Amino acid sequence: MRIVIAEDDALLREGLTLLLRNEGLDVAAATDNPDDFLDAVAEHEPDIAVVDVRMPPTFTDEGLRAAVEARRRHPKLAVLVLSAWVEQSYAHELLAGTNGGVGYLLKERVGKVADFLESLHRVAAGGTALDPEVVSQLLVRRKADDALSALSPREREVLGLMAEGLSNAAIGERLVISAGAVHKHIGNVFLKLGLNSEDGSGDRRVQAVLAYLDH
Amino acid sequence: MKRIWAALVYLATGLLTAIASWLAIGVLLLSVVVLPLLPITAPLIRRIVDFDRQRLARYTGDAFPSPPPLDGPWLHRAQRVLADPDSRRDGMWLVTHALFGTLFGAVAIAVPGALVQQPFVPIIWWAVPGGFENSFGVHVDSWAKAFLSLPIAIVLTLIVTQLPRLADLDARWAKALLAPPRASLEKRLAEVVATRAAALQAHGAELRRIERNLHDGTQNKLVGVVMMLGIAERTLAQNPDGAVQALRRAQDAAGDALEELRNVVRSIHPPVLEDLGLDGAIQALAARCPVPCVLQADHLGRLPAAVEAAAYFAVAEALTNVAKHSGAQHAWVSLGIQADKLTVLVHDDGKGGADEQQGTGLEGIRGRVAALDGTASVSSPEGGPTVLTVVLPVGK
Repeated sequence: MRIVIAEDDALLREGLTLLLRNEGLDVAAATDNPDDFLDAVAEHEPDIAVVDVRMPPTFTDEGLRAAVEARRRHPKLAVLVLSAWVEQSYAHELLAGTNGGVGYLLKERVGKVADFLESLHRVAAGGTALDPEVVSQLLVRRKADDALSALSPREREVLGLMAEGLSNAAIGERLVISAGAVHKHIGNVFLKLGLNSEDGSGDRRVQAVLAYLDH
Repeated sequence: MKRIWAALVYLATGLLTAIASWLAIGVLLLSVVVLPLLPITAPLIRRIVDFDRQRLARYTGDAFPSPPPLDGPWLHRAQRVLADPDSRRDGMWLVTHALFGTLFGAVAIAVPGALVQQPFVPIIWWAVPGGFENSFGVHVDSWAKAFLSLPIAIVLTLIVTQLPRLADLDARWAKALLAPPRASLEKRLAEVVATRAAALQAHGAELRRIERNLHDGTQNKLVGVVMMLGIAERTLAQNPDGAVQALRRAQDAAGDALEELRNVVRSIHPPVLEDLGLDGAIQALAARCPVPCVLQADHLGRLPAAVEAAAYFAVAEALTNVAKHSGAQHAWVSLGIQADKLTVLVHDDGKGGADEQQGTGLEGIRGRVAALDGTASVSSPEGGPTVLTVVLPVGK
């Protein structure tokens, strides 16, 4: 897996590079500003970009905008955005009109290396990885929402865990319910969100998560 | 009885200020002839009138704030005196008070004085053979004339009971001239509103600065710690040396995080201010400055924390600039309090030409100072010297 990093903090940039290389991954470039990042993406055609939200010159959301721009130019590029704090509008901007291959994690999740690598692989493979913090914020906001209001609390919980990127087995473990029950809940979620199995357009799991976010 | 006494005190002290007013009018007339004297005499007159304001405040129980003081450079003062409606009103008060204050004050002293004399008139007539001349010029030579003091005393008593009315009349007129005029109140209100807006803005900017320092500095360092620990954990089995290296880097990053946290805290309110006070803290700054720096400070005592912090950062920023850009051999810092204002001066013998637009340091100082209703200005002609002046009200 080829990776391009965009992170302006030297310590984190080097640390992230070291961490990924230690795991045998191919870090093609580690950049510290949006322009270099876009150039590096064009040059190395990575599978995934790991991008910090705040970058120069104004240190607001340049990194995020660069990530969105990179995906516009290279639709197949997966993007994992790292941020010092959760801002759900960022998640929306990132996910608007996408078809998976995006992740949004708090920076400190990198420290749990095994989980981080799993998220990285999942996003690179076209899945999603949303930080539990993001999901919990979205859940709060979603309470009064229309399309999702049809979901039962349990189904909404399951959908939230799907958004985090958990597998059926992991969801069952987390909620202490059987695999059959998880399957049933997910089936209901698909049904209620109008994602029927005859629809051939890709991963229904990702679609459900995007429906969940894309409002 | 209490009201009569208060009126008596008010009118009697009024006599004193009325006499002072006569003198002041004389000085004023002199300075109209010798115009350059005016900026010197005007503050003097302001002081006399301010005493009247206090007198009025004590009598009425209302506050009568003094107009903005006439300070600043000589020429500036001269312009102010001529243009200033406050000074004109002071002048009007002076003239009217010199006339009526003298009259009312004389009544307030003479009438009770005469009243006190009356009971003694029959006694003196009895004691002094051949009679005497009383204070009204009547030769008292019979018991009838002696007991004339009784109706006189009644009349005088009646007049004394009317003294509060006289005092009220005087106070009403005084209020009209000595209270701040409406327009000036409105102006002050506009100033306060603008200052408050600036304060809120400065406060917001300050919060953003702190937020950014914490997120981009301290938090990143801590993420680095977590990341290095993660690397150590993953490499421990195969590559113990690599793991130790990662642990060391984690340790360094944790140390950096602490350092940054200290800096952020210090930038909010430097602990050194708490320990040493403003003069001590600035003495420490001066001692640390690479350019030899002399501090001259009055005994300041404790000032509001925000004022101390603003003054401290202003000096810190100025000395940093002196060391970095001025090429100066010496620098001087002076701190002084006058008329409830802290004045901070930093000057050097460097090459001058400091660009105000360059860098955000001065802008930061200005914002911080303006938020406290103060002013900050820099004078830095080519060839030097550079002088930073910060004036901060200390809010008594």
